[in-house]
Amino acid sequence: MISQFFILSPRGDVIIRRDYLGNVPKTSTETFFRTSKFYKAGDEAPPIFLVDGVSYLSVKDGGVHLVATTRDNVSPSFVLEFLKRISIIIKDYCGSISEEAIRKNFPLIYELLDELLDYGLTQNTSTEALKTFVLNEPTVVAPPASLKPLFGLSKGPTGVFKSVLDTNRTDGKRRDEIYVDVVERLAVTFNAAGHAISSQIDGSIQVKSYLAGNPPLKIKLNDDLLITRRDGSGYAGGGGYGGGSGFSAGDYAADSSLVILDDVNFHEVADLSAFDTERCISLVPPDGEFALANYRTSHALRLPFRLSIATEADPASDHKALVRLRLWCDVPADKAASGLEVELPLPGHVARVHCEVDAPGSAALAGWEFSDKTHLLRWRFKKVLGGMDLSMRARLTLTKPFGASLRTEVGPVNLKFTIPMFSASRISLKYLQIMRKDRNYNPQRWVRYVTSSNSYTFRT
Amino acid sequence: MADSKYFSTTKKGEIHELKEELASLDRPKKKEAVKKVIAAMTVGKDVSMLFPHVVNCMQTEDLELKKLVYLYLINYAKTQPDLAIMAVNTFVKDSQEPNPLIRALAVRTMGCIRVDKITEYLCDPLQRCLKDDDPYVRKTAAVCVAKLFDINPELVEDRGFLDMLRDMLSDANPMVVANALAALQEIQEISGKEVLQITSHMLFKLLAALNECTEWGQVFILDALVSYQVQDSKDAEKIVERVLPRLQHVNSAVVLSAAKVVLRMMEEVRSEELVKAWSKKMGPPLVTLLSAEPEVQYVALRNISLIVQRWPSILANEVKVFFCKYNDPIYVKMEKLEIMIALASERNIDQVLLEFKEYAQEVDVDFVRKAVRAIGRCAVSLEKAAQRCISVLLELIQTKVNYVVQEAVIVIKDIFRRYPNQYESIIGQLCDNLESLDEPEAKASMVWIIGEYADRIDNADELLETFLETFPEETAMVQLQLLTATVKLFLKKPTDSVQRMIQLVLSAATNETDNPDLRDRAYVYWRLLSTDPEAAKDVVLANKPVITDDSSQLEPALLKALMEQISSLASVYHKPADTFVSRQRLAVQTVDTLAAARSFAEEDVAAAAAAPQATGNGAPAAAAAAVSSAPVVDLLGEDLLGDSTPAAAPAAPAATPGGLDDLLGGLDVAPAAAAAPPAAAPAAAAADPFDLLGGMAAAAPAAAAAAPSLPQLLGGEKGKGLTVYGQLQRVGGRVVYQLHVNNGSATSVDGLMLQVNNNSFGLAPADQNVAVGTLAPGARGSAAVPMAYNPAKLAQGPANMKLQVAMRSNQLGVFYWDDNIPLAPLLEEGGTIDGQAFLAAWRGLPQEAMQKLDVTIADVEAAKARLGAVNLFVLAHRPVPGTGQDALYVTGRVFGSTQVLLELRLMRGTPGVDVSFKSERQELAAAVFAVVRSSLT
Repeated sequence: MISQFFILSPRGDVIIRRDYLGNVPKTSTETFFRTSKFYKAGDEAPPIFLVDGVSYLSVKDGGVHLVATTRDNVSPSFVLEFLKRISIIIKDYCGSISEEAIRKNFPLIYELLDELLDYGLTQNTSTEALKTFVLNEPTVVAPPASLKPLFGLSKGPTGVFKSVLDTNRTDGKRRDEIYVDVVERLAVTFNAAGHAISSQIDGSIQVKSYLAGNPPLKIKLNDDLLITRRDGSGYAGGGGYGGGSGFSAGDYAADSSLVILDDVNFHEVADLSAFDTERCISLVPPDGEFALANYRTSHALRLPFRLSIATEADPASDHKALVRLRLWCDVPADKAASGLEVELPLPGHVARVHCEVDAPGSAALAGWEFSDKTHLLRWRFKKVLGGMDLSMRARLTLTKPFGASLRTEVGPVNLKFTIPMFSASRISLKYLQIMRKDRNYNPQRWVRYVTSSNSYTFRT
Repeated sequence: MADSKYFSTTKKGEIHELKEELASLDRPKKKEAVKKVIAAMTVGKDVSMLFPHVVNCMQTEDLELKKLVYLYLINYAKTQPDLAIMAVNTFVKDSQEPNPLIRALAVRTMGCIRVDKITEYLCDPLQRCLKDDDPYVRKTAAVCVAKLFDINPELVEDRGFLDMLRDMLSDANPMVVANALAALQEIQEISGKEVLQITSHMLFKLLAALNECTEWGQVFILDALVSYQVQDSKDAEKIVERVLPRLQHVNSAVVLSAAKVVLRMMEEVRSEELVKAWSKKMGPPLVTLLSAEPEVQYVALRNISLIVQRWPSILANEVKVFFCKYNDPIYVKMEKLEIMIALASERNIDQVLLEFKEYAQEVDVDFVRKAVRAIGRCAVSLEKAAQRCISVLLELIQTKVNYVVQEAVIVIKDIFRRYPNQYESIIGQLCDNLESLDEPEAKASMVWIIGEYADRIDNADELLETFLETFPEETAMVQLQLLTATVKLFLKKPTDSVQRMIQLVLSAATNETDNPDLRDRAYVYWRLLSTDPEAAKDVVLANKPVITDDSSQLEPALLKALMEQISSLASVYHKPADTFVSRQRLAVQTVDTLAAARSFAEEDVAAAAAAPQATGNGAPAAAAAAVSSAPVVDLLGEDLLGDSTPAAAPAAPAATPGGLDDLLGGLDVAPAAAAAPPAAAPAAAAADPFDLLGGMAAAAPAAAAAAPSLPQLLGGEKGKGLTVYGQLQRVGGRVVYQLHVNNGSATSVDGLMLQVNNNSFGLAPADQNVAVGTLAPGARGSAAVPMAYNPAKLAQGPANMKLQVAMRSNQLGVFYWDDNIPLAPLLEEGGTIDGQAFLAAWRGLPQEAMQKLDVTIADVEAAKARLGAVNLFVLAHRPVPGTGQDALYVTGRVFGSTQVLLELRLMRGTPGVDVSFKSERQELAAAVFAVVRSSLT
């Protein structure tokens, strides 16, 4: 059972506080902030820790900490999932989550908390059902610029920050909309020879619905979608969603026209009766944001970037070295990475760096920087079109003479990027149908794809 | 409408303004005011003085306003239980409202007010709401039963609420079922009794509900299923069949709880086939958890590290998914590394090693070290891979990165222990890096290697010699290794130069060190070498037992216990739940404590009563009361026994445990005014002093019971918030200073250490630490500081029984106090001598001291036993001829080996015992007489 729930601002101020059982001292807010800020040896504190018999569980979102305390042996995933859920509910009702959004809506958030938790026990957590119980009007707050993701999902037409209450309360501006986002995060590691030694996509189909009356939806995915689950005798369609084929996926893998997923799970609203045969998902979307499906795959990915790196001595001076990087963008020419950051760790004996960049005109270099403290060299690009080829040269000034070991001490190179309208797994929505028999009813439907880097690393 | 303005800083007179606004007839204005109060409450400002004003807003049609008032009420009902009772009528009325939201709100809120008096009023509305037509009200009422049980369990059972809860498990609404289940589980926890036994009938219902209820309810049901005792394999199969689909859930808590059920059932079934099939189904969902946010990943990883120890096959082929990502948080990386080691096998070791090598070149030092250690651990556990691990380590040593080299040397030592005489060819490369070793563990490891292979290293003597140059400055760990290594070298290569070395080391380790371990080990070697060098060889160069890698292996019993607690905090901490779970509950306010509390809440009540007619007047009075209430609360709490009233301290210098009379006397002299700071004095004076004392009297016994039965040594202003009780006592044959520390200051206090001034007995703490750990504000701790005889602490001059004590703390500085040394604890158990010695001593000593004690002894044998109990030993007992008297010859030894001799003469049944006393320290007479007297009465 949860003893207390509180939200702390980035500076540790309490902005929301509820005590349910009264068995944890009031000072817990300070204890939490101090412990997590000054965790041993400056390491990042784990999301769960124990101080004086009190367990602190926390997640961070929008710059604020959502924290639960308990003295019981609770299920930690339960509490963390619940905290995440609270943060989603706050986003659904206030447009976004941030210190400002919470401060401006605190009576509303207390109302929500009343319904979410009673005596430390989780109650109703569906955005939809909660609407019945709240009376306060929301003040919608867009996230502050500083908290937007680096190359945000917030850009483009679908950056929405509105409250679920808008659809039925504020009549004037009411607009029916639905957003379906296919979000993929790439984790790829290349070895020094440039081969991908591990690659995985963590993907998610996110639905954000602002449809009045909650009409049913039908979503169809690729026909050539195959879901495998490892079960000893190689790959085989299994688990009920596997398409019931007698072929082994090993055969399919060679055929690159297939989209193969290793595992997938669905939200409880998903009706999968037509999924095995037609790859159709029917659902009645609840209000607010939710993940309709999460999937992961390590098969036949479209890897958007390749890179080569070379470190060589400078014949003119033994206290200098030259690092050359060449980067190819392998996405189709009509797509582009909206923002790219190349990060290169350098060894401690590099004193100064000077960089030159060779890039086609439109791939505007936003700048490069080298930090003495972290020994990181960073290049930033605003937009890199598919098919482009970038060259970077860094001239290093060393504090000790060049040695061959420098080659292994430079790197690994880490890339951060976001590519809109691109899915590395090639999963796609064939259609999104709103099942309402009304000719005049034509709400806005937004479907988009985005692939971003989770960890995209080239070893050296 | 932007509500953030409520968080603006407090202005002067804000409270006053708020009071006026709360009394406003304009509803929006009133609502605004309550919002401001809630905002202030959130940021931690004390707005409890507004209690009556806020409660006055409770009777309203406006649901939004009502909710805000209830929120305030829940927060402050604990501190103002008296006033909370005022709200009861509204609750009862609200619980009959037509609007289900209001009914539920009332039931929810009144369960949060923990005053036992209120519970009587709670029962009827609760009974109604448990049968309410609206499921929302029913599910709220179900939780309320658990709340009520925590306050008054008898009442819950008497009113049959438990049976009603059990019936609710069959409710049509899944939310009601989930809450009833949760409430029953909670009651089971509180009471320790089994109120919810899962029968096979109930099992069926729960499994059916699994598909209906929310993700949170599913977790509850799955966790309840684990405690179900399966009848047979079929039963287990049936359960798993229903639970397996849950592994596909998006919510990681559902997945882990489902995994817990399946793992539990795997222990129950006999069929290998089934276990294999289920294992296979479990792998992919566990892997999928690693795609979640780092927080969820962390929980999953801690659980997986348990699962792979019990069932290695589940994830045997998945080591790749545990490879660290560049931007994983460090806490995730560390866990992944552990699991990689656990899953490393001869099949995947090449891949795994490649990863470790990569990690060993990253930036984070802790992570790099752990990666190097991981390579060593793989080498130790996988014999066929050892050679490959070593070559990776050698490559890493080539990087010359200081901490990598040191860590590598440490693990290579372990590899040598595991595979003796196999890989010594690499020693040469290690020796090239001697100069970069500066950490004790790495140095000690290198020295061990040199000693162990002294016969294969040509210049072993030179190498050791360089280490020996700094021998006196090294840490104990390195010194011990140097000593052993030199002896090994000497036994293997007894050249002249080595002979000189060994003499040097032995003399340094015996003469120039304070470390008893080092000295003793050196003496052992010395004697061995000087008596029988061949035996020394057998001992020192014997084969050592082979080591295994068990650094991450849990004890089988612990692992078994933790497997039953998968997906709980225990599985994250890897500690059984009872080591960190403490069921601390908020005290229920009883009417007695309310009476005591009333005295200081007096003005608040008055203000509340006066509120309607005199808002303006009441305000300053209530504010003043709020100021004065703080010190008075203090007085009722920890410091009651002590000199928080300075006047009381001199009146009762050594406040004995039963000294309540004294204490109250002290209070009589200076009723509270002395304690209250001057600012609050007028307010305190305004309060009825007798009422205040009445409150004290009621509360005093309770506080006295809570305080330990030790005299107070330190407190009040001198203690800067710290109160210390203590006494010298004899425990288990030793003198200990029994201390009890209450931390009433606002900071955590740690590093408490004790020292005493020179005294007549040479008493000194054997260990200066006062082992109470860190005391959080409000916490208390007890410690027994052992005292030892230290001649340096012996004060010259005539004996006196004073002990001057100093205690330091890291936060509050040093405290001093004077204590009396009671003689009784100083009398030693073995302090007897034989009759001859007694007679000789008696004759040799000068004139005795005599005292007549007015005690009556009827039974001499009992008296002897009593004396024996205080370590005064009766050597002889004989009748004194012609007087009808009995003579007892008694001796004892006082701390610091002073023998005391006594002769007691007494007449059975007649008052008066003549005691003669002789000792080298004649000045102890009075104290010894006191001990005799108290032991005989």
